[in-house]
Order: sequence, then C-alpha cells, then structure tokens
Amino acid sequence: MPTRRLVLQAGLATVAAPALVRAQSSLSGTITLMSYAGIFQDNYTKAVVEPFQQAHPGVKVNYVPGGTSAQMVGSARAQKADPQVDVTIMDVTTSSIGNSEGLFEKLTPAEFPVLNELLPEARAAGGDYGPAVTFDHLVLVYDAALQPPLAKLADLWRPDLKGLLAVSAPPNIQGLALTAMVEKMEGGDHRKSIDAAIRKLKALAPSVSTFEPNPDGYSLILNGVVKVATGWNARSQLYADQTGGKIAALLPPEGSVFQINTINLTAGSKNRAAAAAFVNYALSQPAQKAFTERMFYAPTNGKAQIDPKAIARTAAAPESRARMIDLDWNEVLKVRDQWNNRWRREVVAAR
Amino acid sequence: MSDARLKWLLLPAGLFVLAVYAWPTLGLFRNAFNETGPTGAMVETWSLKTTAEVLADSFTFELTLNSLWLSLSATLLALALSYPVALFLFRTNSRFRGLLAVVAIMPMLISGVVRVFGWLAILGDRGLVNSLAQSFGLITAPMKLVFNWTGVTIGLAESIMPYMILALLAGFGQLDRTLEEASRSLGATPMRTFLRVTLPLSLPALALAAGLGFVLSMSAYITPKLLGGGRVFVLATEIFEQATTNTNWPVASVLAIYTLVLLLLLLAASNLAARGLKR
Repeated sequence: MPTRRLVLQAGLATVAAPALVRAQSSLSGTITLMSYAGIFQDNYTKAVVEPFQQAHPGVKVNYVPGGTSAQMVGSARAQKADPQVDVTIMDVTTSSIGNSEGLFEKLTPAEFPVLNELLPEARAAGGDYGPAVTFDHLVLVYDAALQPPLAKLADLWRPDLKGLLAVSAPPNIQGLALTAMVEKMEGGDHRKSIDAAIRKLKALAPSVSTFEPNPDGYSLILNGVVKVATGWNARSQLYADQTGGKIAALLPPEGSVFQINTINLTAGSKNRAAAAAFVNYALSQPAQKAFTERMFYAPTNGKAQIDPKAIARTAAAPESRARMIDLDWNEVLKVRDQWNNRWRREVVAAR
Repeated sequence: MSDARLKWLLLPAGLFVLAVYAWPTLGLFRNAFNETGPTGAMVETWSLKTTAEVLADSFTFELTLNSLWLSLSATLLALALSYPVALFLFRTNSRFRGLLAVVAIMPMLISGVVRVFGWLAILGDRGLVNSLAQSFGLITAPMKLVFNWTGVTIGLAESIMPYMILALLAGFGQLDRTLEEASRSLGATPMRTFLRVTLPLSLPALALAAGLGFVLSMSAYITPKLLGGGRVFVLATEIFEQATTNTNWPVASVLAIYTLVLLLLLLAASNLAARGLKR
C-alpha cells in the first residue's frame, strides 16, 4: 500500500519534473530515436516522446522504426563513421554488442543523475553504458476461449494442444528464454546444462505448428491458426485489452525470464545535448510511470510511483518477481550458438 | 551506329550495377575477413578464420544439400507443370493466346509475400485443401502441408513457374511443326511423336528453363522463410538469420560468397548442358 507521504512525494515529483526539465531547456534541433515499430512506437511516442517535446519545444524527436534489435545494432554499425541515429532502444543482447564495438557512449551519474534512481539490475544491465529502460518477461499467450485454460508451462505438452502451438525457436531470444524455463521446470539449471530441456522440447516438437511465427504469435492466435504461442508480457497485455480479452497471458508458475531493453546514446551523436536530455527524460519517474501505465513494461526507475493496477500486470509485481529465473543475458550470449545448434539438430528436426 | 558508340548505351546500366551491386559486394568481401568475438561483437581484422570455421562446420554442408535438394524438387515440379502450359501457349492458334500468356505469368505481378500468405490460406490446417478433403471424408486429421518441406516445395515451384514458362517459350525456337507432321504422316502415334520428336527437340528449352528455375530456387528466401515454419534450413535463410538475428556479419558474408560461387558454378554447368543439347 502506498503511504500518504509516498503519494505526496510522487505527486510532487510528477508535477515538478516537467517544470525542472523546462527550466533547463535551451535545447534545439532534431534528434533521431530508433526503436521497435508498431504498438511500441505508437505508445512510446504518446507516453514519452510527446511529453519530452512539450518540455523542450525546440527539440523535435524523429522516431525511426529499426526492425529487430539485431537490425538496429546493424544500422548503428553501418553508420559508425557518420551516425544518423542519436538514441536507440533495443534488447540488451544486442546493445551489449554495440557497447563492445564502441557504437554507444558510456553514461556517468555526474551527467545523468537519474542513473542513481534506477534499480540496481537496471544499472547492471548496461554496465557503464546505457542502462535498462524497460523490463518485460516471457509469457505463454493463449486463446482466452481455450478450455481448460492454460495454467502452467507443462501444459504445452497437453495432447489437446497438438499442432496448435507457435514457438519462437532460437536464435530468437524467446527460444533462448524458453530453454532456460524448461530446464528449470525439469529440475535443472541452464547455467550447467540444457540436456533436460532439449529432451523435453524434442517431445514437444511434433505439437508445434511453426517454430517461426509470422508475423507473430499474437496474430496467429487471433487468426485462429494456433491456440498457444510464446510472447512478451507487455504486448500480450496490450493486445488482450485491444481485442476485448480474446487473448490471455500466463506467467508460468514454473518461472519466466526477464527481457531487458536498454537505452543507448550513440557515440558521435550530432545533437548530443538534446540526445542526452532525452535519455535522462526516458529514465525519469514521469516517463517511466507513463509508459508502464500505458503498455505494461515494468519500470526500471525504482522511484517511479506507478498505479498498482498497472504494476500488477507487469514483471514488477511481487508475485511475478518471485518467479523470475536468474538469467544473465551476457552469459547466454556466449552459449547462444551452441543452444541454437542443439535446437536445430535435436528439437526442430524431431518430427 | 558504330560499335564504339554503341557501347555508350551500356553506361547507365553499368553505373547502376556498379553502385548498387559491385560496391556492396566489395563490402561483403571485406566483412568475410572479419571475425566475431564470443559475445557477438565484430572484430575488424584480415583473417581467414571465419571462412575456415564456416567451411569446416558440418551444418554448412547440410545447408548446401538442403538448398540443392529443395531447388531440384521445386524445379522438377515446376518443370512438369510449366512444360505443358508453355507447349500449349506456343502451339495454340486461339485469339486469346496473348491473354493466356499474361495469365500464365501473372504470379510475377504479385508480391512474393502476398503469394506466400495465399498458400498459407490454401494449404494450412484449416485451409482450402484440408477443409475440402475433410468434408469429402478423405481424411480425419488435417494433413501437414505447410510449415515443412512440402509447403516450401509447392510454394517455390509456383513462384518459379512464370519464369520457366517464359524461358521455355524463348527456347522453343527449334520446335519445327513440320517435323512432327512428318512423324505423324509416317504412321507414328501422337505419343510416339511426342516422345521421339517433340520432347528431344525441346530439350535445350527444358535445360534453359531448368537452369533458371534452379538458380532462382537456390536464392529464394521469402518462401522457405515464411512457409518453412522454422523447419526448413537453406543457405538463403541462414545468411539472413546470421546477418539480422545473430548480428554475425562475417559468417553471413562468408556464406553469401559461398552461395554466390555455388550459383556461378551451377549457371556455368547449366549453360554447358544447354549448349551440348543444342548440338
């Protein structure tokens, strides 16, 4: 329960933040923000980009959809000599590649005081570089009319779901996350071995309609092609609302894995001051609150005071946090090829 | 116009190819010498390590066989379907001949993605084919016609058919009707005439069409990607996956060059075969 003092503080922070930002705003020009297309773009523009532009009337934020995270880091790599993008929001598995290739800047608390407000795991995600800006987690998305409803990860092996599953296989990170989840379900630990997961997933393969849902699992459920798919919580929550509850999302009791998006300041940004201001704002309490309440990504700013109803639908809810598997994406990156090969040879090939 | 001045006609196309093909291909060659670090970061260097790794990986061999097998089956299926159509278009005196030819190559006018989604609607578990078969009581459970090799082969064969029909029509030049008439008048049955006269004379056209279809199938990406359901691994899908999901540009570049060389060899072989058949 939020105490009265907390509510008061939050209220003050919300009221004061835009004023503080406005006070320092002598910024101008255009910055380019690259991130995901579709509903992410729509909601991020409304919840974060537009309020930022109101606070900085001289700055225009040009939101460019960049495809997948890997395609975004590819763009940054191709533009290294002449960057066209100032800020990128993408998955941590790819931003870490950009960090080690020198495509993004290190951020210091001296210049970005908001870093001190972030949750420790949000700071840790980027190391000295751009920190986490959203948290999400893998869910099982299912047709809300499914009877009996999906209750656990092990339900994927239910005989009545044969041929009605869409599972994103590795190298898609959903497939990597699922591997760790199944390994835990089988009593193992992905850091030691994924043998148990591979065995179990091999038995699942004949039930899988597609290992590469196109355009995505949510659409395949809504179109009646499959009944269950792997998906991300935030999008699932939003689609559930948008379709009047036709799809539902399950955080499996066996556990799930965080997906982390980081915010990255391009090294050599042509409008660095405005880009830095945007990064600061995106991590600030009002921006984090607005985006979580709009799209159900869990906040990374620990001080953001968010509507409990929205929090309950994110990975930040206490009962969700308790189910999270400790997975270090930087470690998984090192074994990604190995996991990928095992999926191809042992899981996907099983018919 | 003299030959020297004639060459200037090639200038615009030449410049265009240089800008959009030769230059990026050089970039591809450069990337092939780079390496990828343990966490996926690209290390700029000049080494053959990536090439050696890709060529030593048994999966590359598997991908090659998969690509060759898919191309062969799609080409044969497309050839079996295109040959009668092309022969009909070549021979018909119908006043609708022009229109029919347009109908035959119409799939070329539709985006590959749209065509693939059309196939999903036809071949899916609850698609046209399965619904019909189930309503006639032929099957009880839906047949698996998409998200596997079957779906990809069907989709690919359809997508290369228009090109093959055009190639066949272009290659039918030697098909002299008087030779067929001579065969008939000397007492051969229509079947015998077809097997002994028509078919041998159309072999160069068949070789040309098969070569084209094969090369197109080898480089096809959309159909295996969207109809394969993640179960069909071929060179083209692997190059895309390495470049855009794994961010592993060096491996993607090596595989791309490998495929390019393979295609050039196949084209040369098909040209040799076609020339041999003409003699």
